Amino acid sequence: MMKFLFMIIFMIPLCFLQKMFWMVQMMMFFLMYLFLMLNVNLNIFSNLSYVMGCDIFSYGLILLSIWICSLMIMSSENLFKMNFYSNFFLLNIIFLLIMLYMTFSVVNLFLFYFFFEGSLIPTLLLIMGWGYQPERIQAGMYLLFYTLFASLPLFMGIFFIFDNMNFFMMYMMKFYNFNLYLLYISMILSFLVKMPMYFIHLWLPKAHVEAPVSGSMILAGIMLKLGGYGLMRILIIFQEINMKLSFIWIVVSLIGGFYVSLMCFCQIDIKSLIAYSSVAHMSIVIGGIMTMNYWGFLGSYILMIGHGLCSSGMFCLANINYERFHSRSLFINKGLINLMPSMSFWWFLLLSSNMSAPPSLNLIGEISLINSLLSWSSLTMIMLMLISFFSAGYSLYLYSYTQHGKFYLGLYSFYMGVSREYLMLMLHWLPLNIIILKIDYSMIWF
Amino acid sequence: MNYNFNTNKMFFYFILFFSTMISISSNSWLGCWIGLEINLLSFIPLISNVNNLLMTEASLKYFLVQSIASINLLFFILMKMFFLKNFEFNKIYMILLNLPLLMKMGSAPFHFWFPNIMEGLSWLNCFILMTWQKITPMILLSYYFFNNFLIFIMIMNSIIGALGGINQISLRKLMAFSSINNLSWMIASIMISENMWLMYFLIYSLINLLMCMMFFMLNIFYINQMFFSNIKLIIKLTMMFNLLSLGGLPPFLGFFPKWMIINYLIINKFFILTFIFIMMSLIMLFFYIRMTYSSFILNYIKLKWFKIKMKNSFFSLFNIIYIFSMLGLPLSTLLFYF
Repeated sequence: MMKFLFMIIFMIPLCFLQKMFWMVQMMMFFLMYLFLMLNVNLNIFSNLSYVMGCDIFSYGLILLSIWICSLMIMSSENLFKMNFYSNFFLLNIIFLLIMLYMTFSVVNLFLFYFFFEGSLIPTLLLIMGWGYQPERIQAGMYLLFYTLFASLPLFMGIFFIFDNMNFFMMYMMKFYNFNLYLLYISMILSFLVKMPMYFIHLWLPKAHVEAPVSGSMILAGIMLKLGGYGLMRILIIFQEINMKLSFIWIVVSLIGGFYVSLMCFCQIDIKSLIAYSSVAHMSIVIGGIMTMNYWGFLGSYILMIGHGLCSSGMFCLANINYERFHSRSLFINKGLINLMPSMSFWWFLLLSSNMSAPPSLNLIGEISLINSLLSWSSLTMIMLMLISFFSAGYSLYLYSYTQHGKFYLGLYSFYMGVSREYLMLMLHWLPLNIIILKIDYSMIWF
Repeated sequence: MNYNFNTNKMFFYFILFFSTMISISSNSWLGCWIGLEINLLSFIPLISNVNNLLMTEASLKYFLVQSIASINLLFFILMKMFFLKNFEFNKIYMILLNLPLLMKMGSAPFHFWFPNIMEGLSWLNCFILMTWQKITPMILLSYYFFNNFLIFIMIMNSIIGALGGINQISLRKLMAFSSINNLSWMIASIMISENMWLMYFLIYSLINLLMCMMFFMLNIFYINQMFFSNIKLIIKLTMMFNLLSLGGLPPFLGFFPKWMIINYLIINKFFILTFIFIMMSLIMLFFYIRMTYSSFILNYIKLKWFKIKMKNSFFSLFNIIYIFSMLGLPLSTLLFYF
């Protein structure tokens, strides 16, 4: 595990050279393929060294984060062309990658918190530094203070647990059970904010609307998954109390998910729509994790990876439109099928994956999550039905509003999609739909 | 090499540092008191400046406050000597002896002089006031530490430091309130152990030194000056990371002492205290970040006619310390090998 960390660290000098933009991106791809070769066992921590190690769960999320980080560089070619602090941008992304890699690979609970928080600063810099409107300051503050407000009690909670267990190791945590309400709330809440659960989701659409494309990609792709990852790791010691209290989170997130997917229909900003749709997806993930059964865990794992790729791809698409129209409004982004027919195809593919159409990871994930939630209570059937119906609905809504109809008449000039963009979209879509051929790695853990 | 040393100042700095040594190494309360008095009398000439009315006023205020505190200290020391036996602990006397010390370091119920005096000082004197001048009262406090009372003081410090800074635009006052807030952490750390305090104090003074030097070299006194001036990006970024470090965000050095203190406070079951500390440090973080909006947002409307020239050119020397202050967390465990 350390060798990959060192590889990322030694990418840092590349950032200080001029014209090394694509080099860094290539190195990240290379790193990703090297990491793919890692010999990983399914449900036990393998490759243990120093404080790092990974099981299938962290393995998938590390792969996802390296993948998304390299695609982030690919998607923000404009920064490189305009030379808008592109070196600093690369440095920031590499720093972010280090933090994410460490978050997913450490087996020490405190270090997990440390890197979990550490990933906040580069994200904040991405949003506040490379964003567009002055409102990005507010969005950044929302992001910072929503997450910090909830995660500082987590910090206290970790030390409380340390005081009782006398160690921080995650793989030994299963021998312990803490039946304390305040501890439970303080440990869970931080991850719920990060996911985000319905009532505490307000920072997410704000941050997405103000963020540059790379910021949106990392937010939707990885940041939300940090919450799910932490929740799965931490729930091991709260099994008993979570049995009592999980209904709160499940009910809030399912009803909230339905409500948020209705709100998707009211959006006129493409990015904001995608952001709300990811809140809706994450609500099912929270439900699945909180049921604490086998289907729920693996379903939320698969859905997290699927949603990471899919929503990040959709943010790329939104940015491709934004670079051409200089607007993200649905009233201006119209009739694109007339202008970019082949880009319309990619819109279709990614949106169909978003509504969990067959060969995508989202489908497997949602089926497993539906299984888990239905086995928890058959009443969730109503909300699950509504959420999956409306998720198809808003995906279709987004597709038909952007692609069909007349194009915007005020449009003065336009250019077609370039091969970099098609490649980028394919790199989002392909893993999303090809992993299903070997899905048993993620489905059979025990 | 024709540095023009101000020998008077050298002399008083020497006495300033020496007097602190006198009082923290003395083994009687009277010796401590003498050290404090010498300290006061050597700091006055350092901060007063005949040409600047504000500085003169600040030195006068400083003299008044400190002399009142030391008179009280002397009085309570003598009272303790007369009425208590050797090594006898009495709650009233503990509070009475703690109060003037708190006043000396500008702690919460007597904190009002602190931002006011800071407002009249130069950045380097601010640094001395925020760090070095706190050593003596803090060490003396640890000799006669009344937990139940001082926990109150810590909570007050933490809240007042955080709330006082919210509406400030003067950087010196902001740093003063931040110092008041940090005082609560420092008292908590000295409650845990003196090594912990040493570590917290060292790291706090390191970050504080860097901030004060930066403000000094750029000649910045108000928040809006950060936006007005064309400061180089790298300098603004180091400033920002330093402030985040001071705020105690994870990947930076400033996180380390807070982590340690929270760890020990939780182990000793001070849950509410820790919670208040943490939530107030969130507010502190809010205004640290507000100070550095200009470096967070990379592009904004700049005024081209303001040129900032760095006062001294030894910035490169500071770079290494800056890097330590930003990324020194992995090295910080070395502090345990003292």
